[in-house]
Amino acid sequence: MNTPGSSPLQRLRRELFASPLDGLISLLLIGFLLAVGLAVLRWMLFQAQWAVIQANSTLFAVGRYPVDQQWRLWLLTSLLALASGLSWGLLRRLPHPGPAWPRNDRLAVGLLIALAVVAPLALQLQASVQLRWWLITASLITSRWAAGRWGQAIPPALRRWIPLIWPLLYLAGMVLISGGLGLVSVPPSEWGGLLLTLLTASFAILLCFPLGVLLALGRRSELPLLRGASVLYIEFIRGAPLITLLFLGQNILGFLLPGGLAPDRVWRAAWVLTFFAAAYVAEAVRSGLAALPPGQLEAARSLGLPMPLALIHVVLPQALRVALPATVGQFISLLQDTTLLSLIGLLDLLGTARTVMANPAFLGKNGEVYLVLAVLFWCCCAALGLGSRALEHRLNPLSSPAQA
Amino acid sequence: MTSSTPSAAAVMIEARGVEKWYPNGFQALRGVDLTVHQGEVVVIMGPSGSGKSTFIRTFNALEAFQKGSITVDGMALSDDVRNIDAIRREVGMVFQQFNLFPHLTVLQNLTLAPVLVRRRPRREVERQALDLLERVGIHEQAHKYPGQLSGGQQQRVAIARSLCMEPRIMLFDEPTSALDPEMVQEVLEVMQELARDGMTMVVVTHELRFARRVASRVVLMADGEVVEEAPPEQFFTNPRHERSRQFLSQIR
Repeated sequence: MNTPGSSPLQRLRRELFASPLDGLISLLLIGFLLAVGLAVLRWMLFQAQWAVIQANSTLFAVGRYPVDQQWRLWLLTSLLALASGLSWGLLRRLPHPGPAWPRNDRLAVGLLIALAVVAPLALQLQASVQLRWWLITASLITSRWAAGRWGQAIPPALRRWIPLIWPLLYLAGMVLISGGLGLVSVPPSEWGGLLLTLLTASFAILLCFPLGVLLALGRRSELPLLRGASVLYIEFIRGAPLITLLFLGQNILGFLLPGGLAPDRVWRAAWVLTFFAAAYVAEAVRSGLAALPPGQLEAARSLGLPMPLALIHVVLPQALRVALPATVGQFISLLQDTTLLSLIGLLDLLGTARTVMANPAFLGKNGEVYLVLAVLFWCCCAALGLGSRALEHRLNPLSSPAQA
Repeated sequence: MTSSTPSAAAVMIEARGVEKWYPNGFQALRGVDLTVHQGEVVVIMGPSGSGKSTFIRTFNALEAFQKGSITVDGMALSDDVRNIDAIRREVGMVFQQFNLFPHLTVLQNLTLAPVLVRRRPRREVERQALDLLERVGIHEQAHKYPGQLSGGQQQRVAIARSLCMEPRIMLFDEPTSALDPEMVQEVLEVMQELARDGMTMVVVTHELRFARRVASRVVLMADGEVVEEAPPEQFFTNPRHERSRQFLSQIR
């Protein structure tokens, strides 16, 4: 990083003021950024009135989820924090231990702690809620530390099963949120805010991926009917705006299925999102398949591997790695597309925001609300992007440190 | 093994009147015949575009053909997928571009098919794989990835990968054509040793010294047909056909 004999000041000089023109551009940019930053800061600190967020923080988080059942969501959040910490620590230490706390990790922990301290204070939450927030952050960091510390002591036979906690946790989360197994049922119409946004997005992301892979394989199949059907599906979906498909889903599914059998409005929307994203994921995967030299499949087949095994063990691992950045880009736009749910009358983050802004008590507070929304979405998308970059790095066989 | 007594050994590959057209109407094979006995090393030569690669790729059904018949190790090639997979298990193939699996280590490249296809225990296959890697001289690289090896090393891994399936026949499709000159020899030596151990081999190559030293027979193909088929001494010193003489003068 630091070339020998270069103080930060010298480096700054070299990078920003190498020539008179560079210096001029740098000065102009610095001035512009300072002006914008100061204006935003002044607005945030002195003009904006954050009462609209403070008063509605629960509404933004979970919508009209019954207050006496909200402990279930807290429990789920804690479990998610524990699982994230565990996976994070293990990914850093296995199979080849790197440094215990790389720079990015220290940065992430710092951010998490800052968030845990600042956010509850800024939102003026009750003491009990504050405490829960802090506990959840602490458990995330602790499990990250513990997994990094003792991860290698886990016997390899057991390690292979650890990723399974995620699907199990997802199913458990569904039960916790919607009820069943002795829990009071909370119908989807009472979900809202960030909860609804994350739920529909994660549902669609999880299901559109396998569906997209199958569609991409179908599109390259030698069976004409399968290929034709895949092409037709992909091109139809990609040719139609998502909002029309969402309205179509709300109306058609209601007509097609007898009353009571049609899934709830929330699930209908989630399925439409899934089918929509699958077509785009299929195109990303297809580009990955096309990038693979044909010799790979030939070598696998000439070793006697039947087609399904050749696909699973040779073709897909390589093709999906190539397709990963484009696929995650698709996931990120899918997350943002969930805001369209507000247009079909669902109370996702944007829908909730619109009802709050329609309340006469908070008239004219649009700036505050939209800024918070933008920051929330940015956080979620940044997390997806960072995770994908870490995965990409890890999946590249030539970048694992112990191999070089 | 000498070519004077082939009839005593079992027939491993029998191709009769094989004809192939590409979808654009070009006829790549125009009625090719070839018989390969157990333990024979048959070298196929010919100018580019003569159909030699296409021909040996029909033996394990990487290329389809429209007319004629091919019998491999007693099994007649048909369109049936299970029949094709059965033949591929007995026929190893080494490619010009190595085609190692870049996302797997060298050892995993070797063990993948025996564990998945032959359903043999992983431990046992790994031991055999390490033995094979030692035989081709790269056992200390077992846990590296193909991208970290030189071309010659990669091709030797590819040979070991095929051998790990314990095939009865090995096909080589221009195995040294993509290599830097200084790496050709190490691959040829491995192939030579394999021939000495009695493996049945069909090799498409331009390496004259290898053909002279190892081949039981040399086959010259041109324009989708077999022009000449002869023992190496005769082929290189006294070819019968004008087309053979022309080809030899071009590559010498």
